[in-house]
Amino acid sequence: MAFEPKEEQKTINYEEARIYSQEELSNYTEEELKNYKIKHDVPDLDDLEKGPWPSFVTDAKREDLHRKKLNDERLLISKNCVEDLLGQLQLSFDHGETHWKHGGIVGVFGYGGGVIGRYSDVQEDFPGVASFHTLRVNQAASKFYDTNYLRTLCDMWEYRGSGLLNMHGSTGDIILLGTTTEQLEPVFHEMTHELQQDLGGSGSNLRTPSCCIGKARCEWSCIDTQDMCYELTQFYQDELHRPMFPYKFKFKFDGCPNGCVASIARSDMSFIGTWKDNIKIDQDKVKAYINGEAQPNAGSHNGRDWGKFDIQKEVIDRCPTGCMSLENGELKIDNENCNRCMHCINVMPQALRPGDDKGVTILFGAKAPILEGAQMSVMTIPFMKAEPPYDNIKDVIENVWDWWMEEGKNRERLGELIQRKTLQEFLKVVGVPAAPQMVTAPRANPYIFWKEEDVPGGFERDVEDYRSRHKR
Amino acid sequence: MSTEDYKQVILDHATNSKKTKLYFSDLKKAVQKQYPDAKTRMVKQAATELINDGTMIYYSTGSTTMYGLKGRGITEDQ
Repeated sequence: MAFEPKEEQKTINYEEARIYSQEELSNYTEEELKNYKIKHDVPDLDDLEKGPWPSFVTDAKREDLHRKKLNDERLLISKNCVEDLLGQLQLSFDHGETHWKHGGIVGVFGYGGGVIGRYSDVQEDFPGVASFHTLRVNQAASKFYDTNYLRTLCDMWEYRGSGLLNMHGSTGDIILLGTTTEQLEPVFHEMTHELQQDLGGSGSNLRTPSCCIGKARCEWSCIDTQDMCYELTQFYQDELHRPMFPYKFKFKFDGCPNGCVASIARSDMSFIGTWKDNIKIDQDKVKAYINGEAQPNAGSHNGRDWGKFDIQKEVIDRCPTGCMSLENGELKIDNENCNRCMHCINVMPQALRPGDDKGVTILFGAKAPILEGAQMSVMTIPFMKAEPPYDNIKDVIENVWDWWMEEGKNRERLGELIQRKTLQEFLKVVGVPAAPQMVTAPRANPYIFWKEEDVPGGFERDVEDYRSRHKR
Repeated sequence: MSTEDYKQVILDHATNSKKTKLYFSDLKKAVQKQYPDAKTRMVKQAATELINDGTMIYYSTGSTTMYGLKGRGITEDQ
């Protein structure tokens, strides 16, 4: 499906929007960088550079050298901010505690999120990072960017911020690391007016929705994750920018059960593409895999010699529900027992494909620790159609939000509320009957709490009638 | 009940409450105490209007967002 933007899209031309010349962008040599020392003594950070992987310390030093060589009027915040950032980090390592104060500022005018306030509590020693706020920028669905956009964003951030950024933070946003309070509104103005770019969510907001690469590049995607992500981001703008929830709330969209954005572990409401009918089998291609004519896992394990492909060992025996068999050279799947682990499809992509009746499975309640430890989402709605404008899905979302806002305590995640109020209560809200797959462990409480409607005659009884049969 | 009524309750609560920063649910409870039928989304609308006209501010604890009366207690940039 072609992308239909909700507003007219500007074409960004870096050559017109650029702030720095090519000479300014490459104003140092690798040799200079090798010999470059920042003014603070940072032995622990130097140590981090010695490992096998590229280090953020090296990147930060590179940025510091680059800023130092720019003219003063070409930067709107401190030239020394990166150096001071590293100095403060070393001090935190020395003391074993952070020197950031956070809180206070939350956003640009009218926004209840998108900016995370950071203030140094050792400003005298590190004046460059006295105020060093983070901005969350709502990433494009599946993180597809045009280089014109990225270069313009980076130039703007070099000019008005520290030049340091994360691609991307855990929630999915582009994280712009460090600017002063005065620069927040100008940065926001440039992003919205020049780059047509919104801030993401933070605080007690709907956090920036995030999705896998979806149908753009992946043939297994059962839903158009980008379209869903875009539609729900636009539809719930108010929830994204103006807080009303007890705490954070995250949506993530996985196109298939491979779960490339790990929605099941990282979102309060996880959408995972699935299919209702049978896995499609091309028996000729199955034979091609068995005979070695097709490469298992599309050749991604070719780096070593693992021997001849053995369908019994590598596919059938590894099916978690044991629902596959090979009969007279034909692969059989007992689809009713398939739990969508995707292993067989991943190994033999030419022979096996997801079915045609596609939709989403919706899971609720994942979170990282704080109370009760980390937990995965609970599969609650096994299958639902997911087609624009997703009204059926919006109804579910709003039902759940209403319940959470009514019953949730301050700073209580949906998963914690479900634990506190029980899954049975939650199922009533969603209107889904309990299923054996939702049970994670045998019950520990021997009592059965009947609902009145399940008891013949209800909880009321006629005492006279009872006494007619039972003497006092 | 109109948004204006809700706004007045929110303002009174934010002015007189012992705490200077309030969760949204505190505002909602204050409104619902006076107007038991008040819907969450209407209270939110009233709170947003107060933010937009500059009477109230958002305040972050670092992970959660709260509401406060502008000028009362810690301001947005301290």
